[in-house]
Amino acid sequence: MSNVLRPYLGAVRSTLTAALTLENFSSQVVERHNKPEVEAAGSKEVLLNPLIISRNENERVLIEPSINSIRLSIKIKQADEIERILCHKFTRFMMQRAESFIVLRRKPVPGYDISFLITNTHSETMLKHKIVDFIIQFMEEVDREISEMKLSLNARARIVAESYLLAV
Amino acid sequence: MILLEPHNVIIQTTLGEKIIKPSSLDVAFVDYDGVRFHLSTPQSKTLLLLSMHIRCWDELVKYGALEILQREYGSLLQPQAEPEYNVSLVIDLEQIPASPEDRSAFILSIALFKRNALAAPFELAFKNQKALESSGSGQGELMEIHYRDEEAIYVQASHDRVTVIFSTIFADETDRIFGKVFLQEFVDARRQPAIQNAPQVLYSNRDPPLEIRHLANLRNTEDTGYVTFVLFPRHFTPANAPGTISHIQLFRDYLHYHIKCSKAYMHSRMRHRVAEFQKVLNRAKQEVATTERKTVTGRTMSTR
Repeated sequence: MSNVLRPYLGAVRSTLTAALTLENFSSQVVERHNKPEVEAAGSKEVLLNPLIISRNENERVLIEPSINSIRLSIKIKQADEIERILCHKFTRFMMQRAESFIVLRRKPVPGYDISFLITNTHSETMLKHKIVDFIIQFMEEVDREISEMKLSLNARARIVAESYLLAV
Repeated sequence: MILLEPHNVIIQTTLGEKIIKPSSLDVAFVDYDGVRFHLSTPQSKTLLLLSMHIRCWDELVKYGALEILQREYGSLLQPQAEPEYNVSLVIDLEQIPASPEDRSAFILSIALFKRNALAAPFELAFKNQKALESSGSGQGELMEIHYRDEEAIYVQASHDRVTVIFSTIFADETDRIFGKVFLQEFVDARRQPAIQNAPQVLYSNRDPPLEIRHLANLRNTEDTGYVTFVLFPRHFTPANAPGTISHIQLFRDYLHYHIKCSKAYMHSRMRHRVAEFQKVLNRAKQEVATTERKTVTGRTMSTR
């Protein structure tokens, strides 16, 4: 992890760990329903204060806790058109496989690129600190992956152009 | 395999096989830019009929494609083309040069059928340039070759150069952005000393270059790109011209081929990365103890 990124990821890690205090909670509105309250938003008193951790204007994390679920949305850095398209492709690729990434949400929250939804079932069946590790590692690697893809695209373009023009 | 080959591999391999062992044959196949070929033996096993359909045939004939094909293929060229196709060649397998070198050169020349047909406007432009050079000024006719549904090549000669403009459509946004990166590199690559002699490349998105701005049938949408090559006489000296023509014809296919290749590469990379993330997440799952459960009497419990 680079030193620049460390405080940002540290803040996300401790906030997420603190917020992951989930318990089973049935709906107060509909009988025999048990829904993630942060999604259903049926009763206000079980929602906690949402929190934004922002590294700069282009990179931020929104954490919305509630009594039985927590939603974490990430805005990934997109400096230019290429990064925007690569980021879009990458997150779409992951979200299409959301069922195997149990905690991943199929659609991001508006204004963000990718969202995770962790419910009390997840925190009971999976190791809580490992879920946090997963999210932190995702944040760490997604930037690197996108910039590597961009570099490889540029390198390829250069080689393609050079070999074409050399042959003319 | 970075560069595309100008000849058609199917024609090359099929002819090579049939020369060794003639047999009856009827294959239809395609090449870049929606060119269709039909290779058949309608009369006897040793008489191959090769027909080609190009969607811009009328334009090519206007710019002298028939003369070039006549020059390249001579008596092989049929006066009457097969129905549904534009032009036909008849190859008599019994009259093929005997020595291996001549034979492979002959096969290659047949495999360059499409390249030779598309070479017509370029050769005409090079000729026009020579004529204009002596007069010292003026511009040749702007030749349009609509070789794909919405994409065209424009060739124009003037007294000191030949301008070749490609219009190209990028099907989706990713292609458009990747295309921009690639074309920008084409423009920048010339700064390198080794490529100083290459033709100048200009690229514009959406706005057509001045040479073709007056044309009515352009679609100026965001997904259109225009690439201009400026060829100077040193690029089409009699020794260089054939190579330049084969090379520049394939520019559009080359560009799009590499855009698709990078997309495929990105895809395989993402697949790999997502598999890695999956492993990390799987580490979070708790191990479910799967010990064999037994009753007091020693029977094994099993789920049904």
